Formats: sequence, C-alpha cells, structure tokens
Amino acid sequence: MMYGERKVFTVSSFNRGIASYLGRLPAVWVEGEVTELRRNEAWATVFVTLKDPTTGATLNVTIPRRTFDRLELALEEGEAVHVSGRAEFYELKGELGLRATTIERIGIGGHLLALERLKRKLAAEGLFAPGRKRPLPRLPRAIGILTGAEAAARGDLIATIGARFPAAKVVICEARVQGKTAPTAIVAALSALAAHPEVDVVVLARGGGSFEDLLPFSDEAVVRAVAALSVPVVSAVGHEQDTPLCDLAADARAATPTAAGGLVVPELTELSTALESSRRRLGLTVRNLLERDAARLDRLGARLRAAPRLLLERRRSGLDHAGARLSALSPLATLERGYAIVRAGAVALRDTSSTSPGDRLEIELASGALGARVEDVRA
Amino acid sequence: MTEERPFEELQKELEDIVARLERGDVAVDDAIALFRRGEELYKTCVARLQGAELRIEELTVTDAE
Repeated sequence: MMYGERKVFTVSSFNRGIASYLGRLPAVWVEGEVTELRRNEAWATVFVTLKDPTTGATLNVTIPRRTFDRLELALEEGEAVHVSGRAEFYELKGELGLRATTIERIGIGGHLLALERLKRKLAAEGLFAPGRKRPLPRLPRAIGILTGAEAAARGDLIATIGARFPAAKVVICEARVQGKTAPTAIVAALSALAAHPEVDVVVLARGGGSFEDLLPFSDEAVVRAVAALSVPVVSAVGHEQDTPLCDLAADARAATPTAAGGLVVPELTELSTALESSRRRLGLTVRNLLERDAARLDRLGARLRAAPRLLLERRRSGLDHAGARLSALSPLATLERGYAIVRAGAVALRDTSSTSPGDRLEIELASGALGARVEDVRA
Repeated sequence: MTEERPFEELQKELEDIVARLERGDVAVDDAIALFRRGEELYKTCVARLQGAELRIEELTVTDAE
C-alpha cells in the first residue's frame, strides 16, 4: 500500500515478512528454566515458557505434543532444560517463539531418566536375567583386565591376584573410561581381551568417580558388549553404592577391585588342599577296593580248600544212614528182641508140615545157637 | 590332551574318579586304570599351580576412530 511516498504494510504482511525472515535462521540450542508448561490432550502443541534464571528474560517454546510425549520427560516447572529448535514467529499474534524439535533435561535428572529407560528396555530383553549369568572359571589361564590409564583399581586388583595365586597370568588392556569416546574404547578393549587365546575371564576395573564419570559403563553398547562377551565378565566399577548398568549385565559383580581379585583366582592354599585331599582319597579308595577284593579271594580260597572234606563228610554221613537202615532190616536185630530162628538143615521153618518127631533142628539165638530134637509135632 | 583343558575340568575329573572309586562298584582292572588316570590328573593340576610369579601382558587396542 502506498500513501504518497510512504510504503505501508498491513499487519499481516509485516508479520509474514518477519516470519519468513526469521524462518531462515538456523536451528539452535537454548538453555533455560521451565516456568510454565501447558499440555492438553486436545491440543496438538505443548506450550512451555522458558526463563533465563539470571536476567528473568522469557521465551515462548512450542513443541508438537506427540514429540513431547515421546520424550517421556515428565518435566516439572523449575527444571533446567536444553531446547533445540528454530525461531518461529506466530503471525496472528505477532509473537516470537522457539519451535522445538527436542527438549533435554540438563544435569543428573536427564541422565537418570535415560538410564532408567535403558535399564527397563534391557531388562525386558532379558539381558540381566540370572539365568544368563555364567559361572566364573575356577582357575583361568589368564585374567583379562580392562582399566583406565590412571587406575589405582588396577594396582589393587593385580596385588590381590598376585597374593592369592602367584602363578596367575593377567592381560591388561587400557582404555579411555571417561568422556564421549569412552564407550567405543571400552567395547573395543573388551573384544580385544576376549579374543586373547588365554583369557578366560575379564574384569572391568574402574575406581570410583562422579555419576557422569561412570556413565560410559551404563552406555548401551558397553552393556550389550558385556552381556554378549564370549568369556564371563566381572564388573568392579565404582563404589558399592553405584550400580552402573554393566554391573547388571556382568556375570558377577564385585564391590571393590580387591573383591574382584578374590572372585577370579582361587586361594592357592585352598586349591592345593583340595587336590591333596583328592589324591589321598584316590590312594585310599583303590587300596580299599583291592583289599576288599583280596578278602573276597581269601574267602573263596578257603571255601575251595574246604570243599573235598565237606564232600567226604557228606558221603560218610550218607553211608552211616544207609548202614542204619540196613541194620534195621537185619534179622539179627529181631533176635535181639528174643525171637529165634529155627532151621531144619538149611531151611528156616515157618510151619510144622515138614518136621517129624526125632528130627534134628538148629535154633539160632541173638547170641549163640542150640542143637535140638523134635519131641512131638502139633499142627 | 590333558594339557589344553581348563584346570577345573581336570580337577573335576579327578574328583569324579575319586567319587567313583569311593562308591566301590568298580572292577579291579578298572580301578587300577582309574587310579593311574587320577594320579596323572593330580600331577597335571599340581604342575599348573606351580608357576614362579605373576605374569603381566599388556594389550593395546588401536583406535578405530
């Protein structure tokens, strides 16, 4: 519109012009405190007012509701956040704002939440299940140790291993355990250790540190690498109260490097004692077995030698028996009871038919015999 | 073959042999064979335990970045 020399914009065209000018600005990160948060299921947009805590300056932030919900931030008013987005001019109201594509909580809060989410996700996959835990080798051929460069933890661990089991072998792999590149370095070191031909167990040794310092040990790639490593992993990261996620994925957890040392090597003396006991029992049992067999042989021998005599005795008692039966049948036994045998010549008499008075008879008694003559015969 | 196996396998085999012998259901010839095997295992195990001192090997990983 022209009023003589004067070029005049309508409000709409002015706003449109500003909007298109601002639209060319690059995406930026803005830090501030959430002072007002309006979210309504019926709206497609969530409105947030961001305040600069030092000057009190404010900025209107809009973010699509679905994007906002997907972030699962559970933001409270007063929390500090980083917002990524582009400047946006609301033409109808002539208001400047920031169209956000993402919001991150800053400070520990955001990390904690992200950690909690990752923990839930990995737990749902079964990565922390007790059934996945592998037993540690009783005597590893070599112990893989992953440490940072400084590592008092490393000193403690090696000292413990050396004291418990002097013949041990350790393979040390140093890695950056802090900062943005730490997860990649840790994963690489883990697989290098596992690939070593003698390494039968790996210890993650990292002393205490701040929450942020220990974050790489909760990194998803690290946690997955720990769970999937071809040899068992002992996690000795941070102090007792810290529970980085790698602790949950590891096959065993040690509160301190010293405790980790106790887990990966046996006490030499205990092992020797067990071996000696096995050997003693080995000798003892074999001797017992042999003695048992010798005793059995002795018994068999004794029975073998006794056999002929037994046989004879059995025969003899058989004979005695037969003799008894035989004598029971003998007429002599009858004579003992007072009977007598009367013969005429060689024939034993059963009736009177063949005898006449005057015949000569022989009478046999149990003891001795009589010669007699028949006086008379009665039928 | 004995040499390559992990210590605990050897020790387990030794303990199993002892347990079998202790149960006693073993023929004499077998018992003697088991005893010989047990002695061999014992010697191997003991040899493994006797090493002079802690050996330390350093492993370096070349950065992929």
